[in-house]
Amino acid sequence: MGRAKAWLPWFGKTMVEHVVGVLQSVVNEVVVVTSADLDLPVLGMDVRIVRDREAERGPLAGLREGFEAASADATFVTGTDAPFLGSAFVEEMFARGGACAPLSDGHVQVLCAVYGPGAAEKAQMLLAAGKSRPRDLLESQGYQAIAAEELVSAPSRAPWEGFNTPEAYLSAIRSVDAKATCVVELLGRAAKQAQKLGAESTREVPVGTLGDLLATWPKKLGLVDEGRVAKRYLASLGGRDLVRDLSIPVGPGERISMIDALAGG
Amino acid sequence: MNGFHMAYMRVDLRTGESARIPIEAKILERVLGGVGLGSWLLHREAPVGVDPFAPEAPLVFAFSPLVGTGVTTSAKFAVVGKSPLTGGLCDALASSHFAIEGKRLGIDALVFVGECDEPSEWVNGILRPTQNWGRTARETAAALSKEGRVAAIGIAGENRVRYATISAEGRHAGRGGLGAIMGAKRLKAIVVSGDHDTVAAHSEEVERQARRLRDRARGDATAKYSEIGTIGNLLAFDRMGALPTRNFQESHFEGAEALSAERWQSDRKHRRASCADCTIGCEHRYGYKAPGGESKDVRIEYESLFALGPLCGVADPDLVLAAAAKCDALGLDTISAGATLAFAMECGERGELSGGPVFGDDPSEWLSLIATREGLGDFLAEGSRLMAESIGGDALSRAPQVKGLELPGYEPRTLQTMALGLAVGTRGADHNRSGAYEADFSEEANRLHGDARSVALAIESEDRAAVLDALVLCKFVRGAFDDLYDESATLLNAVAGTDADGAEIETIARRIVDLRKAFNIREGWQPEDDTLPARFLTEPIPNGPAKGVTLPRERLDFMIRSYNLGRGWTEVGWLPKEALRRLEVELDLEGLRSSIERSFPEGIIPE
Repeated sequence: MGRAKAWLPWFGKTMVEHVVGVLQSVVNEVVVVTSADLDLPVLGMDVRIVRDREAERGPLAGLREGFEAASADATFVTGTDAPFLGSAFVEEMFARGGACAPLSDGHVQVLCAVYGPGAAEKAQMLLAAGKSRPRDLLESQGYQAIAAEELVSAPSRAPWEGFNTPEAYLSAIRSVDAKATCVVELLGRAAKQAQKLGAESTREVPVGTLGDLLATWPKKLGLVDEGRVAKRYLASLGGRDLVRDLSIPVGPGERISMIDALAGG
Repeated sequence: MNGFHMAYMRVDLRTGESARIPIEAKILERVLGGVGLGSWLLHREAPVGVDPFAPEAPLVFAFSPLVGTGVTTSAKFAVVGKSPLTGGLCDALASSHFAIEGKRLGIDALVFVGECDEPSEWVNGILRPTQNWGRTARETAAALSKEGRVAAIGIAGENRVRYATISAEGRHAGRGGLGAIMGAKRLKAIVVSGDHDTVAAHSEEVERQARRLRDRARGDATAKYSEIGTIGNLLAFDRMGALPTRNFQESHFEGAEALSAERWQSDRKHRRASCADCTIGCEHRYGYKAPGGESKDVRIEYESLFALGPLCGVADPDLVLAAAAKCDALGLDTISAGATLAFAMECGERGELSGGPVFGDDPSEWLSLIATREGLGDFLAEGSRLMAESIGGDALSRAPQVKGLELPGYEPRTLQTMALGLAVGTRGADHNRSGAYEADFSEEANRLHGDARSVALAIESEDRAAVLDALVLCKFVRGAFDDLYDESATLLNAVAGTDADGAEIETIARRIVDLRKAFNIREGWQPEDDTLPARFLTEPIPNGPAKGVTLPRERLDFMIRSYNLGRGWTEVGWLPKEALRRLEVELDLEGLRSSIERSFPEGIIPE
């Protein structure tokens, strides 16, 4: 993706804020497990953040960290990239009682599942036995596999549907709002150059990859060179990431500033 | 050795007598000129623990091997002294013909000690009473211009404002209050005119290298500076949540557009100019309406713009430009002036200071009071650290300074490589001796989460700056080098006839950094001095694009420890005994270790 999923914009929020907001409408306690060095947006005092200290041991090790931090018997687990997660679905899953997970196209959706009591201890035992798949934990808890079509509260796009590519993320955005836009502004030398060419320096354009957005300006501006943002510029995405990779996706409402690479001085 | 005159002139202002003191070639080979030579001379000439305002405190003007060769941007001089703002070593650079003419006196540095009996000026070896006391530096230079090139102080320097500058042709050796040292010596101006040219060892090669550098310093390597100028930073920084606002309480300013180069280039009178011997032309002057309605123009840089604008909550361009012009006229460092005002503004909001400025006030009125030390201006003239210590409570946690030097316009929480550079800088919070922001504005470092990579980049940045400041070349040509060390060696060898290679130049850089640190240790530096104000380590960014970003104390501490070890110092930042011994021997600084031993319990310097 080229960007941390947690920080990707999702209609006025970041993705992690969106998911936490959905969960908070259903449960009293939300724990976010994140990597050792990823800073997160401010999620409020009532959200606990724990670090995955053993990321190299696979996804179960990260889940164990979360289970250890959580106090409830039953825990709903989701990934950060869950744009279509809804509160009704989470409620329905809890209502099933005990460990359960959707079954979709033959796949158990372990990152959209409820884990039962004692999950932290069981996860630890499994890890000690060399097992690192979340599914092993669900199986150890005798989980119910629920066929996707049995779930009455699932929206048209599946709650477990995430994204691992820029195209999938942009497709998710367009399925919600086909006309979603972002703002691109040229600063410094780029703005001066645009002025010379009679082009505007700020535009609202449909969401897309950075390359899609920059292609809307005249080539003469030289924003792109050899398949990347030209060396003289950097793209600042939402005031956070500084990038040159044109395949990076830009989300709804985001502001992209094309700045001089020689910033500072 | 060519390129040097192998001597400095020591002027005793009590008697007016000058002495030409030889410098051995091996010393110049090991520290070069500029800040390297200046730091070495400060070690030699400053008594341990000297009060910066005492007559014994030396004030050094150091030239460099490239001055006078015509190499682009090389017409710069370094002023070095013990800062009245920080109590540590301060070196400040300025570009002007003063550098060229000063070196034409046939010396590599001028060192002033003692104190004049009355306000005086030093004109080509003659010390005489001045008629210029009470005038601006520009007026003084105009009055003396027939006798040579002039470096002078303004009214702020005369009144020992702790962040007063030394001015030459409208450029300032700005940071750290070196103008106040000159004022304490009652030395209004230094005028130089000589006839000793710099003769290069291989003049054709110098010409070739100079042409190569000049050619490469065109286009993208410097175009940002020539086309937009440093004020182009303002809007970009704002968009990245890196624009210090209202005394670093915020990092995004609602009035940024109104103060931007993007706006001004289309709606203000604008012209460009260059320093002496410079082909870049980074100086951008913008028109403004002065308080009486008169139209004027002033050179403006990002640092002046941020400090007198967003940092003080001022969004009116005319007020900011007028304030920058006022600082120039009075001889005030714009960064420290703006930051000290901004600190006073926040103190006022918190009820810690009454009758002071408030955010959004016209800074100019306060600048005059500071320069003349009238009323509350006398308190503000001390700088934010001394003010905070006087105010007490937790004011120090919000004073925007490191080691007493006010922070430049880089928000440390959102530029975390730079945060390290600011914390460990020997001069204090400094953007010229550490260009670590370059790493933050790249894909190389995570500017929101400093780590071991940031540390390596910060060290590299300091080392590169040390070379540029010793040669001396402007930082704005840094992008024109593929390999700074190798190419610097080629340039130096052509001028001086030496046979240095890139590795030796890198060693010189490291030596200069060590030398400055050793001076600070000698003068009482302690490990706890290398940090940032507590605000940055406890308060998240409250709003704007970087909302919620933090710089936890443990993260900064980790970076500082790693930095110290990366430099070959102890984990907390002491120079080990071996490093001191090396400096002592290589630079003929007998007594360095023994003077430092006093800083340690039982006189034990770490291994």
